[in-house]
Amino acid sequence: MNIRIPIVQAILLVVISLLIGLGSNIISSKPIPWFAEELAVVDMVEINSDEPILAAISLKQAKVFFDEEVLFVDARDEGYYQAGHIKGAMKNIFLYELIFKIEEKQNKDTPLVVYCGDPGCGDSEQLAYDFKDMGFTKLYVFKGGWLEWSKAGYPSEVGK
Amino acid sequence: MNYLLNGPVILLARLILGGVFILASLDKISNPEAFAAAIGNYHVLPFGLENLLALILPWLEFITGIFIIAGIMVDGAAIMIIIMNMIFIIAISQALARGISIECGCFSVSSAAEGDKIGIITVIRDIGYLILGFLIFYRQKHKFEFFPKPV
Repeated sequence: MNIRIPIVQAILLVVISLLIGLGSNIISSKPIPWFAEELAVVDMVEINSDEPILAAISLKQAKVFFDEEVLFVDARDEGYYQAGHIKGAMKNIFLYELIFKIEEKQNKDTPLVVYCGDPGCGDSEQLAYDFKDMGFTKLYVFKGGWLEWSKAGYPSEVGK
Repeated sequence: MNYLLNGPVILLARLILGGVFILASLDKISNPEAFAAAIGNYHVLPFGLENLLALILPWLEFITGIFIIAGIMVDGAAIMIIIMNMIFIIAISQALARGISIECGCFSVSSAAEGDKIGIITVIRDIGYLILGFLIFYRQKHKFEFFPKPV
């Protein structure tokens, strides 16, 4: 068998997919950036403004929020949550149920911190964007997540 | 062996693989953002690239699925299925080996509550698809293929 033709066909398939994939994103009503951009870490001034916000925060800022009793949401799977999470953080359950439970505690304009396992995980940002779509306006992604928090020895708990 | 590489088995393999790949692509095509997050959870791509992959890969699955069923560029489609399944197997295996428990992101990405966790079963399933892909690639008869015309 001449292997060249199948390879050319395979490349053609990739090119077609590339054109349709990127093209459909351009005309889509909800396009996503071609390259994901990391959320910028914000400072205190921006945090204290009244504007709607979705931003990343540092460990130090997360601790400040924690001390101010801001609500934390753990975006990881349940198994990880049970093995250890930031003290008082909410468990990631079905989105609408989670939002219902958050709204029992506070309204959508009250600050909310979302975190996941480590700076490389995407669950926290994904959940934050879901919250944003659902109308939450003060969202902070603690990028360091459980890794930095537990390393720092800050208050945590297991189970539930 | 000869029987395996002939008529009906190959047709069935094309239908199964095509169906699976089309089915797998639909939810991802409509939710590229969620799929990008699912890719990110595998921790294999450098940050930033998962969006690009999330936009292209579902369409590649869809078009490959359509072509392999419709009998268009079956050789190329079989190669793509082999390559994709190899990548899936590697990605899932490395996640399992590192002990990260994550959603597969294989078929459904829209709801986090839908438990499609990766596991040994996922790897075995993909190895099954891989074998079907090889069967198609090494087929001897080119029945129901329309482009390029079988010689």
